[in-house]
Amino acid sequence: MATTPMSTTSKATTMSTIQRLGVRVRSAAEALPLDAVAVAVQRLRAASDLLLAVRRQVDRPDAVPGVERAMEHVEQAGYALRVARERLATYLTSIGLGGAAPAPATSPRPHPAPSVAAAPPRARVSTPAPQPDWWAARIAVLTDGDVPQRRPDASWDADQLLRRVAEAVRGGDRGALRDMLTSAPAPIGVQLTARAREPLARLAADLLGHPPSAADLPRLARATESRVRSLLPGLPGHVLDTVLARTCRVAPDTHAAARPAHPADTPVASAVLTGVLLGLLGRSAEALAAEAEPHDPSAPPIPSVGVTRG
Amino acid sequence: MASVAEVKSAIDAAIAQINEGQAAVRVAAEKLAEAQQSLAAALEGSGHEAVGAAQASLFQAATDLEECLAATVAAIEQAQSYAAML
Repeated sequence: MATTPMSTTSKATTMSTIQRLGVRVRSAAEALPLDAVAVAVQRLRAASDLLLAVRRQVDRPDAVPGVERAMEHVEQAGYALRVARERLATYLTSIGLGGAAPAPATSPRPHPAPSVAAAPPRARVSTPAPQPDWWAARIAVLTDGDVPQRRPDASWDADQLLRRVAEAVRGGDRGALRDMLTSAPAPIGVQLTARAREPLARLAADLLGHPPSAADLPRLARATESRVRSLLPGLPGHVLDTVLARTCRVAPDTHAAARPAHPADTPVASAVLTGVLLGLLGRSAEALAAEAEPHDPSAPPIPSVGVTRG
Repeated sequence: MASVAEVKSAIDAAIAQINEGQAAVRVAAEKLAEAQQSLAAALEGSGHEAVGAAQASLFQAATDLEECLAATVAAIEQAQSYAAML
């Protein structure tokens, strides 16, 4: 059968429509504000460094305010933006426009070192200062144990810490969990919230059989709360409520997110909940490594179509 | 042990950094809202799993930026109060 002029025109129009869609999606993906978020992280990190230095210099370090909560949220925002960009690239690939994936952000790492030039003068914030002990002290409270007297290993990264913590959780040994959490310094520990977000969503989806939603919150809480609380008896209840709500994509303002939390609480709760979910699914912590790889922000944003499968 | 003047100076510097961070977060939130609108218009009617996941991530990012802003406001207030009582 010969191709009619009308069908040829229709096909050409369809192709052009898809291409226009691709341009719009690509343009929006490239406009995602990863650079602005990176600047915010940089500035807040500089502020955090200054305030941590003040804590080391005063008699009552607990009275010195911090910006850890703001840091946590902006780092999570950066992570969510990168995930969104990956998903959009996946979409473009699936409709035949994979070669036109958005370019990587110019500053993809969520934790750039603060610019020395931009750093203001510090009040006796000199050199290799000892690690602040607020992280270890809080871990001791959360796990109802003693503060370990040893220096944390600064060579760890947050993904590695998340896997080790998840392993300790699976073992059910609170002391081992405390040792693992305090083996990393505070700046690494506070990244656990952002690093656990994606694994939590995937593991919860696997446990529930579908992506978690608000309706799943009670079920997810029932399945995990007692195990989390047995490992973190000092964790304020509203912190776990908030982590569970976020996992189920419930808007935080409808839950306890507005209540103040110690900067260590949400990262620790997120990591422990990750371990609990792995245990319920009978998986090892090494499964997290495989899941984390596609989201390496330094990797080009050309995802495989299957990355969203848990 | 640092002097009061040194501590206040460090806190003032921290507040300045937080202010700059706030400004960057506001810019990010505005750009994100524009990107969300643009994507919503382009992808209206799509049932593709990746589209839903992308939009959920963007919603989450917007929520986090809002919460970040609120946290920075609180942090500045607390830092100013702390410096004032030194």
